[in-house]
Amino acid sequence: MTPVDYLQFVLAPQVVNGLALGIAVVLVALGLTIIFGMLDVINMSHGEFYAIGAYAALALGAAGVGFWFLLILVPVLMVPLGMVAERLLIRPVFDTKDRHVTTLLVTFGLGLIVEDVLKIIFGANTQRPPTPIPGATEILGIILPNYRIFLILVGVAIVLGVAYVVYKTRLGAMVRAAAFDRNMAASLGVPVSLVYAGTFAFGVSLAGLAGVLLAPIYSVFPTMGRDFILLAFTVVIVGGMGSIWGAVVAGLLLTQVQALASLIISPVWTDPIVFGTMVAFLVFRPQGLFGRLGHA
Amino acid sequence: MHDRLTQSMRASHLLALLFVLASLALAAMGTATDDTFYLRLGTEALIFAGLALSVDLLLGYSGVLSLGQALYFGIGAYVSALTLMKVPSFWLAMAAAFTASLLAAIIGGLIANRVRGVYFALITFGLAQVLAKVVYNTRELGSSDGMIGIPVIEIAFGPFSVSTGSPVGFFLIVLVVIMALYALTAYLLDTPFGRVLTALKSNERRVPFLGYSAWRARMAAYVLAGVVAGLSGALYPMLRGFVSPELMFFATSGNAVISVVLGGVGTLAGAIYGSVLLVILKSIIGSWTEHHLIVIGLIFMLCVLFLPKGLAGVLRPPVEAWLSRHRRIPGPVPDAPVLPAIAVDTKAAPQ
Amino acid sequence: MTPVLDIRDLGVSFGGLKAVDQVSFQAQRHRITTVIGPNGAGKSTLFNLISGALRPHRGQVLIDGVDMTGAAPERTKAAGLSRSFQITSLFSELTVAENLRLAAQVLEPVGRTLLPISRSTRALAKTGQMLDRFQLAHKRDDLVGNLSHGDQRRLEIAVCLASEPKILLLDEPTQGMSHGDTAATAELVRGLTDDVTVLLIEHDIGLVMSLSDHVVVMHQGRKLAEGSPDVVRADPAVQAAYFGHA
Repeated sequence: MTPVDYLQFVLAPQVVNGLALGIAVVLVALGLTIIFGMLDVINMSHGEFYAIGAYAALALGAAGVGFWFLLILVPVLMVPLGMVAERLLIRPVFDTKDRHVTTLLVTFGLGLIVEDVLKIIFGANTQRPPTPIPGATEILGIILPNYRIFLILVGVAIVLGVAYVVYKTRLGAMVRAAAFDRNMAASLGVPVSLVYAGTFAFGVSLAGLAGVLLAPIYSVFPTMGRDFILLAFTVVIVGGMGSIWGAVVAGLLLTQVQALASLIISPVWTDPIVFGTMVAFLVFRPQGLFGRLGHA
Repeated sequence: MHDRLTQSMRASHLLALLFVLASLALAAMGTATDDTFYLRLGTEALIFAGLALSVDLLLGYSGVLSLGQALYFGIGAYVSALTLMKVPSFWLAMAAAFTASLLAAIIGGLIANRVRGVYFALITFGLAQVLAKVVYNTRELGSSDGMIGIPVIEIAFGPFSVSTGSPVGFFLIVLVVIMALYALTAYLLDTPFGRVLTALKSNERRVPFLGYSAWRARMAAYVLAGVVAGLSGALYPMLRGFVSPELMFFATSGNAVISVVLGGVGTLAGAIYGSVLLVILKSIIGSWTEHHLIVIGLIFMLCVLFLPKGLAGVLRPPVEAWLSRHRRIPGPVPDAPVLPAIAVDTKAAPQ
Repeated sequence: MTPVLDIRDLGVSFGGLKAVDQVSFQAQRHRITTVIGPNGAGKSTLFNLISGALRPHRGQVLIDGVDMTGAAPERTKAAGLSRSFQITSLFSELTVAENLRLAAQVLEPVGRTLLPISRSTRALAKTGQMLDRFQLAHKRDDLVGNLSHGDQRRLEIAVCLASEPKILLLDEPTQGMSHGDTAATAELVRGLTDDVTVLLIEHDIGLVMSLSDHVVVMHQGRKLAEGSPDVVRADPAVQAAYFGHA
């Protein structure tokens, strides 16, 4: 195999697949990092919300709802779910001294339940919705599945949209104010408790959207969230907890590391390398690549 | 003169004693009915109780949540298995597991104790995940299949000897080891060193200004917890005859955390009760549905929300009240040491 | 005689802001030295530098002639320095007696660290002594989180004293107290000088003037003046900066 062949048929597809995975991870990590940055809550059930989104897409799709409509419908349906979860599980323990630990434990419990509920409703088998955009396109001699190209483009649009809302709009400013100083924000007329519930729901909704988008590529099974969330946590930590741009950069970097490591070293060593990176960051730069959002 | 913490610890001791009595009853019944299944199940519950004990030492006393305590449990199990396959000696296996988990906990502690709070939880989680994956991919350690064929051994002490193959004999051995670990931990917590740990949980920033190095105390607690987990893990291959990477996975660490929360954080005895409770729940629910996670998850969540002191929070106050009636404490302390145990967590402590 | 606490040219800055700048003074044994100054003058930062909570960028802190600059809090504590906090910092999940004993534990030989707590007889005795002295004996088994603000402030001083320090740094001990409690606390602080040297941050000027042997005035991170209460009161610079609008 010539170097050019290697580049065209081995390396480049690997990089592009890594990019698609990177976008996927960023989408999941985005909600996680927003919930942490704004609410100071580690959502251990985030992966399960991602799974709910995927299953919702699967079920509604089977019922005849079109893919494009699902992209809107599922995230919207996730909002009340997130609101209820926040109200019932996060709010009661939000003001306790050990908020981090308690919310982590509660959402961990929620994750266990959701996983089993999905198993009961949909069975333990792996399912795969049909690819919404079939076919492949050749770009510079590299053959790429159309859906992955679509995923990359949509992912970029979502990230930009979220960043715009958080950093540029009045709503985002209100949320950031509430995260920075709750009492101050409340005295300025920010409906803090609604903002908190809304932020949590927003993060959950993003996870659901990621579920819809990724189901056609990565299949749907009850524990799908558990496998993915590890990577998402790593991305959030390396990027800097609460930083949107950090999640983007770390997500893309780490998945490239993963893709190339599995090519050059061996697929079995990618996990230790990725988690090792997370540990190294926690030790030497716990604030991650970028700082935190909201909090001083 | 007994202070409140000593008093609560005594209540835990009484609960632990009840536990031992119940275990002995199980052993007697098991012998009478020639049972293997329940004794083996009970032995496994006890082994995981040791892991839960180590989680509680961290969460309930020094106040940090480890999501990767299975790391040391797994190291203990693997080292014990490797030793037993070379030399069939219980004591050598325990010594090897002790040394290995001690060294690993020192290294892990140096890494994990650089951060705290939620970062500590995630770093312990990450550390365990890294090592689990390394073991998972190491052919010499049996890769994903783990190692099978760990021989049944004779555990000799003096003129006596017990086979790990004997359900009741090994059950009693494990009971002794786990209760010894409980006793050691409980003893240490009732010393000035233990009180510094309690102080760390309550208000870490103040501790250095009282003249204690917070880092050293955290480190000591972490290493102790690692060794407790390692020694418990060392018993696992003796029971099952195999080890697998699952022992280090998050599910194992997570189960230990669930046990501690169910049993009652910061009570030690609660960790043991919680571990047994979890095994019972799993096998009872498991007998009529395979979806035991829903029930366990639900109970766990309700516990965190409404019963932050777990089972021990229910069991211990009456025991404490009983103790203080039978052992007069000077001063007017009728129910003061009892109620706050629950009140503390539900009340928002201003920081 | 070496001063028990010798502060030399101490300074620290955050970003561009010099929070404490070129501050020097000495605290004489068994005297009450008070640091005063408007909000933001750098008083609490000064305490943080002395007690090891913050590392100074320049200057020296000498305790009994020994250089303790930048030493960790547990080391300044070992050198005989105890401090309280402006916002009460106690162990709210522990009882009054447990808080005191935790502080008194440093009096015990290291060998008792791993012996049962009941063997720490010195610490136990000290705890009883402090409970009596601060009239907290009837609350010994109350959780600190349930105490009144005044009791907590008093306990905070008791906790600092339980380790038998040479120097006691009190950061606004009367903060948030009623008039009656303030007077009682002043009386208490006055009685401490038999055992310790007191360095105090206080806002109540009347209290400062009646209580202090020596006053250090800080303004915008720097030392504006120092001397006896009368001398300081008469200082025109102090009058302008501090009493000018009082």
